Amino acid sequence: MMELAGRFFDVVTVDRNLTDKVRDIIPNPEDLHYWRRVLRMAALCHDIGHLPFSHGAEDLLPDNRHHEHLTVDLLRSDEMQEIWDSMIPPLNVEHLVKVAVGPKVLKDVEFTAWERILTDILTGDALGVDRMDYLLRDSLHAGVAYGKFDHYRLIETVRILPSPEENVEFPMLGIEEGGIHAAEALLLARYFMFTQLYLHPIRRIYDIHLKDFLKLWLQDGKFSINLEDHLRMTDNEVLVAIQKAAYDTGHPAHDPARRIVKREHFKVLYGRNPDDLLINRDASSAVYEAACTQFGPEHFRHDAYKKGNTAPDYPVLADDGRVLSSLSCSRILAELEPAAIDYVFVLPELSKEAHKWLKTNRETIIQPKVEADS
Amino acid sequence: MNEQQQSAILLSLIEHLRNRRSWCGETHVQKATYFLQELMGVPLNFDFILYKYGPYSFELSDELVAMRADSLIRLSQSPPYGPSLVPGIYTEQIKKQFPQTLKKFEKQIDFVARKLGEKPVSELEALSTAFYVKQHENADIQQDRHVQLLRNLKPHITPDTARRAVNELRSVINESERLQTT
Repeated sequence: MMELAGRFFDVVTVDRNLTDKVRDIIPNPEDLHYWRRVLRMAALCHDIGHLPFSHGAEDLLPDNRHHEHLTVDLLRSDEMQEIWDSMIPPLNVEHLVKVAVGPKVLKDVEFTAWERILTDILTGDALGVDRMDYLLRDSLHAGVAYGKFDHYRLIETVRILPSPEENVEFPMLGIEEGGIHAAEALLLARYFMFTQLYLHPIRRIYDIHLKDFLKLWLQDGKFSINLEDHLRMTDNEVLVAIQKAAYDTGHPAHDPARRIVKREHFKVLYGRNPDDLLINRDASSAVYEAACTQFGPEHFRHDAYKKGNTAPDYPVLADDGRVLSSLSCSRILAELEPAAIDYVFVLPELSKEAHKWLKTNRETIIQPKVEADS
Repeated sequence: MNEQQQSAILLSLIEHLRNRRSWCGETHVQKATYFLQELMGVPLNFDFILYKYGPYSFELSDELVAMRADSLIRLSQSPPYGPSLVPGIYTEQIKKQFPQTLKKFEKQIDFVARKLGEKPVSELEALSTAFYVKQHENADIQQDRHVQLLRNLKPHITPDTARRAVNELRSVINESERLQTT
């Protein structure tokens, strides 16, 4: 990711790729070297706050914290401060923090236009190299080809561009028109990776079993935010604990551990479908609640995700010099719907009975409830 | 307020904005939601920061994606301009499901749509940033200082435009207070 970020930086800051409207935000040539190093170090360190198994159980951090908060704490730690101070020139840790995690995490921190561009290079929804990197990495390691796209071509065409909106100033990352097909390929790769890999029901249920295990195994059911504890807790520690608990029938976390180790995961009872959505947008919740009432909540899990893979609107530099919206330049970008899932899972031992019950009662269960007079 | 009630309100806001001839791109919905929540007190619970064209909520942006995934809204294209948000195929379903919520906040939604509906992004940026400044300064901020702070945050906004935005904001706030007491 460091290499992608460095390459991206070189393309967007070279003078021939800058337009007059955005040239002002680029630092002096003597400062560019400093900022390039900030970007590369931020790229290297931006995920050091990740928990075991990455995002799988991130909501077990206390106080609505995310892994980025741990990244920030680590970047600011005394041990890392020594590293930043030893660099020539020394790196300002607050620059690193801003670029590594962006305004979505640092809500009370002011960003200059330049800092916003740099963090967008790493963390941006549209063209950020973090997304490029994880798609390429995950497609390689999962052995699927549909996560690949021509990132070399895409990065060659990225530019800092003015907003397509009139009379506003908000320089942002975009692409020149020649990169639109590479950008479409990136979005399609994300779409396929989300629908077929990240949101695959079996992958999702293992996250749920992992969380069930961790809630019972971790102290107070939460990860520690103490940095020493965080650094000591890796996938290895969790895997060993799962293995032990799976074969110890008296262990409080035996059940979820056994389901992971022996592949006795919960099965899909219900998934969102267009026919039922026509009747009730939240049919899955209705099925989940009814199933819990009928058989007991411990036998079911509900899993909804609707926020992945959208096509962000970013500027495109047309061949005639106009700056347009990406969504007006590409039907593919504009019309690809966000990937969404909404599953109800059932205990395998109860699967047959629950399916039979659902088949008989589905139409009644999914009827929408109209809110009562207050 | 649960997620479905939140969606019902956003959907109603989008419909009202469109009825007021708003282009209704994401920026229009962002700024209108900001006023609806912060000025009119509708408890949507989005976290706004000063970001894209003024106050902006990443959570609201995610919620609009989720609403697209549920076909409550869709994007409508009119090249070369950016997309508009328009009601989707399940709009009527959710309106029928939450009549009380929609009735409760109808007056506030209509007010915001009336005040912001016809504004282009540049005017929305100035007006919403002026409101953001007011929220983060003391309530009795003097006009000159208000204009100056607005321009500190958005230097590309001309002094005249900033002054107009500050004056208009005062009038919108006064009118909203009258509306809330009726």
